[in-house]
Amino acid sequence: MTDTDARVIRGVAASKGARRRLNGGGPRAGVITAFLTPFFLPFVLFYLVPVGYAIWQSFRVVRRTGGQYGTSYTTFGGFEQYGHVFENTEFWSSIGRIGLFGIVQVPVMLFVALIMALLLDTPLLKLKSFFRIAVFMPYAVPGVIAAIMWSYLYSPQLSPVVDLLQGLGLHPDFLGPGAVLWSAANISTWLWTGYNMLIMYSALQSVPQELYEAAKLDGASNWAIAWRIKVPMIAPSIVLTTVFSIIGTLQLYAEPAVLRQISSNISSTYTPNMLAYAVASGNNYQQAAAISVVIALITFVLSFGFMRLTSKRAGL
Amino acid sequence: MRNTASRVRLAAVAAAAGIAVLAGCSSSDKPDSSSAAASCEPAKGKVTLQYWNTVPGMDQVVALWNKKNPDIQVQTKNISNDQYGTISNALKAGKAPDLAQVGYDELPNLRTQNAFVDASACKEATAAKSKFVPWTWSQTSFAGTGVFALPQDTGPMALYVRSDLFKQHGLAIPKTWDEYAAEAKKLHAADPKLTMTFFDPNNAEWFNGLLWQNSAEMYSYSGGKWHVTVDSAQSRQVADYWQKMIDDKLVRTDLANGSTQMYAAYQQNQIASYVGAAWGYSMFRDNLPKQSGKWAIVPMPTWGTSAASGDWGGSTVAFMKGSKHLYESVKFNTWLNTDPEALALENKLGGLYSASPVGTGLPQLAQGVPYYAGQKIFDVFAESSKNIDTSFTWGPTQKTVNLSLQDAMAKAAAGKGTLADALKTAQSTALSSMKDLAIPAQAGK
Repeated sequence: MTDTDARVIRGVAASKGARRRLNGGGPRAGVITAFLTPFFLPFVLFYLVPVGYAIWQSFRVVRRTGGQYGTSYTTFGGFEQYGHVFENTEFWSSIGRIGLFGIVQVPVMLFVALIMALLLDTPLLKLKSFFRIAVFMPYAVPGVIAAIMWSYLYSPQLSPVVDLLQGLGLHPDFLGPGAVLWSAANISTWLWTGYNMLIMYSALQSVPQELYEAAKLDGASNWAIAWRIKVPMIAPSIVLTTVFSIIGTLQLYAEPAVLRQISSNISSTYTPNMLAYAVASGNNYQQAAAISVVIALITFVLSFGFMRLTSKRAGL
Repeated sequence: MRNTASRVRLAAVAAAAGIAVLAGCSSSDKPDSSSAAASCEPAKGKVTLQYWNTVPGMDQVVALWNKKNPDIQVQTKNISNDQYGTISNALKAGKAPDLAQVGYDELPNLRTQNAFVDASACKEATAAKSKFVPWTWSQTSFAGTGVFALPQDTGPMALYVRSDLFKQHGLAIPKTWDEYAAEAKKLHAADPKLTMTFFDPNNAEWFNGLLWQNSAEMYSYSGGKWHVTVDSAQSRQVADYWQKMIDDKLVRTDLANGSTQMYAAYQQNQIASYVGAAWGYSMFRDNLPKQSGKWAIVPMPTWGTSAASGDWGGSTVAFMKGSKHLYESVKFNTWLNTDPEALALENKLGGLYSASPVGTGLPQLAQGVPYYAGQKIFDVFAESSKNIDTSFTWGPTQKTVNLSLQDAMAKAAAGKGTLADALKTAQSTALSSMKDLAIPAQAGK
């Protein structure tokens, strides 16, 4: 079993192997380079260059020649912008806010996704492709559109859901100070559960059927097969979806930004990305760049930290 | 061997990326010296100008100009979606248009980014001074230091009143803010489902209009420094008043201006008045057609006995840096904002309330408006416009201050803090944001 496990993980980390093979060369290296150019060119233009530009900007500061509307220019400022970021209490409270968001939303979403993937994988379920499409469907809706749709369902003036609950004597305030974070979390969960389910479901599909047959012969129930065999077998894909979700949480923007239109309980600095946007819209591009770099570093540390932690646990 | 070759290739790619990065920012390394007044020479031959704006129907106004002026053709682009982001990015890329629509409160910010060209070398531009409402001219010329834009429209404020609800509950038209609060109390006591108005915590622009009415001078410049008095006795009087309205539950705080939710609340007869600007007249007409005949517009309540009003919104058409055709830009800009035919069209298609007395004196504005029970509503706005404090100045980091003010206003509305705290927050944000952009500033006068 550990053998198969390792094989799957190696599949996930395929890029590592590919690089080693490329360096190992042989006469086909030129061909490989030719095939990779269409990838590397946009990668450099639209990924490396903007990232490099952001890092460069984050080390610059604005200076001015004086006068009421004096001429401005930028110059090298060392770590000055980073100093501002670390002193910025709004930045740290936005990090704390999405930390809380992630700690609750990510496990809930992945648990639901896992249950759905397992259900889809049982022979008991009929209309499999219908359910698969139905759960995956929200992912096809653009995030902003989903947020606008949900904001109507949350809005006390317009929502049939609120009307219905009020009819039952309940008075929910989805946009209130305590609830609005979870209303945003609900939109994210609705959007991304199907996507994560699909990754887990594909991993389940690649588990050899003989394992189940052997377990059944040993007298294992469907329940035991699910928890003792299927879940451990797809652990790498669960790790992968968790890493994606951590990254997604730190990038959170569309849902709170849309809810902000109808709720005054979402500030302009609600999430780190919203803060970066607000600072950039105040024409402080250099500080916005520093904020973005810090967000990227935190994302990097958290996602790789999580990967290392889980791979050590799994004894790999 | 192969190994080395691919490493070299990688290094080349990295170097190319580095060069691209360096090339991308070298333009902002040195202060540029284009702040001197530009010359005003007519071009030889045909000219095409770029004009970016957010006004509905502006393409038709421009089409009229293009028909009459074959030698100065104007191309428009609508930038309603992220107006200032688009302008700032274009400036950074050196691809700004000849002319762009800029709100009064955004002018100083763009001015500190060297976004404009001074058109005072053009006689027609300086001569336009007499054609505009004085406070608008003072803002576009930065109190006479040049001509960086021409005023387009304004938002003189007034009180929109649901006459039928007022009559039904025996309310009087309030002359002062104290009377307004008293009537609000009466109304809410008569029917708890009714409130006088709403306080939009997400709308610093509106709140600034209220501060403006009370002559809250928030920024001034002297002795080589900006002086920040966002948190002053005048502004605190306004903040404390609305804080009390919020505390006494006399205003709602759950509605955003212009939102579907706001119209729904008005549609359901839950709110009896609206503190708004001239451009709002078409909002109610178009979104609440069933309430035709029920609305009236009266002067904004005042703080004392003398008439005073604030401005909410309004825009200018700015001369953008990099324009190669200043002479032609001035010609078009002047026509756009002072010609009766152009102004009539802008009012009809875009709902603009002109910054020029020529525009506000148009015969079509002297008529009674059917939606407002035939009331000559523009007389009220014209009077309001006359009572706007001409010395009001926006800060050079107004957008950042507004965002911070809004966040703090929302906290106050949620019961965590007060509007007076919000002013304190805005004051400190004003100082810190100026420091970040190397603009010398100090607290107090």
